[in-house]
Amino acid sequence: MYALKSVGGALGLGLIFFYLGLGLVAVLRAMFGYPDAWGGEINIVGGYVLGTIGWLMGIGMWGLWGREWFGLKTYPRYAPGWQRYFTFNTDHKVIGIQYLVTFIIVFLLAGALALLMRLELASSGMQFLSHSQFNGTMGLHGILMVAVAVAAVIGGAGNYAVPLMIGADDMAFPRLNALTFWLIPPVAVGLLATPFLGGIETGWTAYPPLATTTNSSQILFDLSIITFGLTSILGGLNFLVTIIFMRAPGMTWGRLPIFVWSMFATAWIALLYTQGFAVALLMIMLDRVGGMAFFKPEAGGDPLLYQHVFWFYSHPAVYIMVLPGFGIALEVISHFSRKPLFAYRYAVGAFLGILGLSGVVWAHHMFTSGMPNYLHGPFLVATELISIPTGLIFLAALGTIWMGKLWLRTPMLFAMAVIFNFACGGVTGIFLADVPTDIHLQDTYFVVAHFHYTIVGGEIFALFAGIYYWFPKMTGRMYNEKLAKLHFWWMFIGFNLTFFTMHLPGVKGMNRRIADYPSSLDDLNLIVSLAGFFLGASFLVFIYNMINSWVRGPVAEANPWRARTLEWQTTSPPPHENFPERPVIKGHPYDYGVPGSVHGVFPGAGLSGAPAGGGGQ
Amino acid sequence: MAVVSPSAGAHPVHNHLQFNRVGLWLFFFSESILFGLLLSARFFLEGIEREHVDQHLGLAITIVLLLSSVTAFTAETAIEHDNRRVANWGLIATIVLGIIFAAGVGFEWKTAEFTRHEAFGTVFFTMTGIHASHVISGIGILILVWVQLLRGRFSGKDHWPVAGAVMYWHFVDVVWVFFYPALYLVK
Amino acid sequence: MHVRHLITAGLLWVVLTAVGELLVIADLYPAVGSHEAEDFDNIFRFLLLLGVPVMTFVFAVLIYAMLQFRIRTEVPTEDGPVIRGYGWGPRIWLGITGGLAVFIMIYPGLTGLAKLQSDKNAYGWGERDAEIVIKATAFKWQWAFEYPDGTQVSVAQGKELVLPVDTSIRFDVNSIDVVHSLWIPAFRMKIDAMPGRTTFMTVKPTKTGEYGNDQAYRVQCAELCGMDHATMMFPIRVVEADEFESWLASLNQGGK
Ligand code: HEA
Ligand code: HEA
Ligand code: CUA
Ligand SMILES: [Cu+2]
Repeated sequence: MYALKSVGGALGLGLIFFYLGLGLVAVLRAMFGYPDAWGGEINIVGGYVLGTIGWLMGIGMWGLWGREWFGLKTYPRYAPGWQRYFTFNTDHKVIGIQYLVTFIIVFLLAGALALLMRLELASSGMQFLSHSQFNGTMGLHGILMVAVAVAAVIGGAGNYAVPLMIGADDMAFPRLNALTFWLIPPVAVGLLATPFLGGIETGWTAYPPLATTTNSSQILFDLSIITFGLTSILGGLNFLVTIIFMRAPGMTWGRLPIFVWSMFATAWIALLYTQGFAVALLMIMLDRVGGMAFFKPEAGGDPLLYQHVFWFYSHPAVYIMVLPGFGIALEVISHFSRKPLFAYRYAVGAFLGILGLSGVVWAHHMFTSGMPNYLHGPFLVATELISIPTGLIFLAALGTIWMGKLWLRTPMLFAMAVIFNFACGGVTGIFLADVPTDIHLQDTYFVVAHFHYTIVGGEIFALFAGIYYWFPKMTGRMYNEKLAKLHFWWMFIGFNLTFFTMHLPGVKGMNRRIADYPSSLDDLNLIVSLAGFFLGASFLVFIYNMINSWVRGPVAEANPWRARTLEWQTTSPPPHENFPERPVIKGHPYDYGVPGSVHGVFPGAGLSGAPAGGGGQ
Repeated sequence: MAVVSPSAGAHPVHNHLQFNRVGLWLFFFSESILFGLLLSARFFLEGIEREHVDQHLGLAITIVLLLSSVTAFTAETAIEHDNRRVANWGLIATIVLGIIFAAGVGFEWKTAEFTRHEAFGTVFFTMTGIHASHVISGIGILILVWVQLLRGRFSGKDHWPVAGAVMYWHFVDVVWVFFYPALYLVK
Repeated sequence: MHVRHLITAGLLWVVLTAVGELLVIADLYPAVGSHEAEDFDNIFRFLLLLGVPVMTFVFAVLIYAMLQFRIRTEVPTEDGPVIRGYGWGPRIWLGITGGLAVFIMIYPGLTGLAKLQSDKNAYGWGERDAEIVIKATAFKWQWAFEYPDGTQVSVAQGKELVLPVDTSIRFDVNSIDVVHSLWIPAFRMKIDAMPGRTTFMTVKPTKTGEYGNDQAYRVQCAELCGMDHATMMFPIRVVEADEFESWLASLNQGGK
């Protein structure tokens, strides 16, 4: 079978190159007279790098791209039907679905790890996991979920929807796009292999000197995450060029769907700041394998350097996570309220404002780190300024809903839940941004609750909104509305039970990243754990609904939501070149209720964009 | 650097040359954050302190690299005017100068009076190392381009690979313009 | 019509806020053992006071819209009113949120900060000059404390950290291996133990108390430091000044 051949071959080549890399480094070490040619972590580095290259070339990059570098002529690979998902395919719709499916699976795995943690934390004392096992679980859950949060919406919804929404036939660099996806499997393998080298001991933040002295799983962590950073940089680059140059005629910046705007801001953040994570982890690798002294105080290094560089990326990263979420929420809310997006220009301004501020607030993660006192004030101010643009997003959402004709289908429910949850997550953020309160709350479960409210409540809910919203477009079939609503309410209640309760042990004095805690916090944690399992179970409904509907759901019409944006003006699923012909944009995408207004038209075919009044198509 | 879309030409509505240019520029933005962070790390750890380094060598390799930018530029303008011969020599000169630079850095590493186990050594070797790795990858790209030039692949109308490689080379060069004073001249 | 919606939604907001503000009077906090703890609780309550209405405003609009503006038909048959949302609406919103943000930024933010930081270039909280200075050294995975008179306290000796009440105590914190963090929940104070630099925090216990009766009286490591991070905890007992002296003395002849 073709898919098997493609993936199997790639795996084989990857493995061969992996061992080649190990050997190559060993030979070099022998040549330069190191005692243990095979011993060092640097062998793993060599292996991972070559292995990744081998894997990429094997999956089809060589034929479609690599040959060109040597002046040979490239040949595309045509795979039939579903098998095209298992090769170096440059169609943005294929890549989007590849991303979504991959990261849903990663999400489920990481979620299962979370449930394992909750099992251990259900009561004080040690029950199921040893301390080091718990740390490994915790770190893996954290980094996997961060990967999901950074890549699922951008890579999945973004890849699928953005070219369609701006009336383009594909992304600007289709092969680069495919590359960003096929770099993910090595990342996943690298991270999932960490438990075999002792498990991530440092959490997802990997602070040195612990990270420079811990077990060798750290080196896999570094390599994987640097590779992962590369994918989001290249992805961001691709989105920027696409959005700047490939908009259909008439698609002015003022007529851009809000989700595309959010992706535009996100892409800038990903492009510029992701280097921070790479540099931080590179320094750790150099300290580990190169014996350098970045973080060795006795040799003139400084551990604080890492925290600055790391948060220089990782705070903007949280906006990489949430901005596309906001985009999806506003998009869905406008279509399902049958109303123009309220204060569209302010919402755009909010995205750009957050983009501007995101780079100057990082040290609010370091208020208690013993950094010089004069840094606290400025970062406190900058951090709380961000609540102003974020507030504008809320204004747009609430204003659109107000007096609207709310069509409460599942995507709309999830979109409204995003606003609901993030109001809580954001306000708790203010508690943390205030130094006097953060001194106590830093590194407690209050922080854990805060960022689950923002990431899970803000972004993962938006991810599901997007999945349900575009499911008919992606698969050409309709999901089961009853099960979907069940999933929503189940997840919504479970989520708020779990994570609202989680604030309380935090304030009471329970710190993060511990397998055992003072017995006085038992009952609170038991509630959190039970609620957590309740939440986890809700995803079984989702899994069933998705698989079942994809296989035998009723065939979906082209525009089930009566929406006006371009992706709904073509067939479900769209043809390879997306549109029968290049659309021409005549008006604003959200002009519901404006008599005679249209968004996109197809001059030749004469079929026009969704007319204003109720009806769609 | 070969970020050309396969559907080039298939959809004349898009100017893919423009895509590649802007794409490459965006890549440079991102890269400059990388180098900028390394630069800030150097001052964060060491302030403006500096161990003794071989000034003549430093100056020499800097001049070499600047020269290589000139030859690279010559090559590009030459191919724009369909002048293969000059382009050929321009590329060769660039590659050779690049190799000399890399060798110079290597020599500097051998003769350095400080080890990588102390703070200044750490930042010095990291910055020069990361930069040198860019130089070497640049050389590799230039060689690939050069080979295709020999095969007569490029013309005044179609020479993006040359242009892209040269842009990259200029960028790496500009980075050194910031690194050199930070590592050799301060204090 | 529109006004009616505004009024009912407003009422809903008031109700939700009233319920939410119960959090302000609720006792969410561990034992209050110091001035710093009192300050924290007050600031936290104040932020709740301001934050709850913001949240409940969002909740109220969402819930009310869901109940009132939903369509009952299978598919939408008509569009909503064309409200573009320019003009005064957004400006007022900007004014209110901006004002609120700037307000909390200044009070309790910057004012509280000024109270906590005596010296702009130091690494730590509170006044530098204190009546007692205790050296705290963190290592994997325990603490060692040294009193001014050189008395050492650790799991090996003393097994608890005894502090005099109503005296300002400065901890000079550093670490010999990785980053740890010295956190005392009962005092709401925390500062990281950074290898290579000495950080400090000054606290003034106001109540006697001990780990035995209240687990908030403990030194807890609050920065992931490897395997046994969770167990890197040390009991505290806050006693009257004279009892403190006798305890110190007893420890001194008690071998060293
Ligand atoms: C999607 C991810 C996401 C988002 C969007 C945010 C948003 C914010 N975060 Fe959060 N944060 C995280 C993810 C996120 N955070 C993570 C993962 C961590 C932990 C990392 C780790 O240590 O592992 C963290 C930790 C963290 C800390 C460090 C805690 C500590 O360790 O000591 C701080 C401190 O300032 C903070 C603050 C904020 C603030 C002020 C916002 C603001 O952007 C929120 C702004 C939004 C609102 C305020 C609500 C809407 C606004 C209105 C309705 C207008 C009216 C309101 C006002 C005027 C107040 N966050
Ligand atoms: C996208 C981000 C994301 C998401 C979605 C989640 C989801 C969850 N998280 Fe996570 N979490 C983080 C990001 C995230 N987390 C981060 C960044 C950290 C910090 C790590 C660190 O400190 O370094 C963290 C840390 C963290 C902690 C603190 C650990 C510690 O400090 O000791 C806890 C504790 O309760 C927790 C719990 C949960 C729970 C209960 C969920 C629930 O929402 C999970 C829901 C359940 C599922 C999704 C499971 C569904 C699967 C099934 C029902 C079975 C089917 C399974 C298969 C087919 C494999 N998380
Ligand atoms: Cu020491 Cu955690
Ligand atoms: Cu942050």
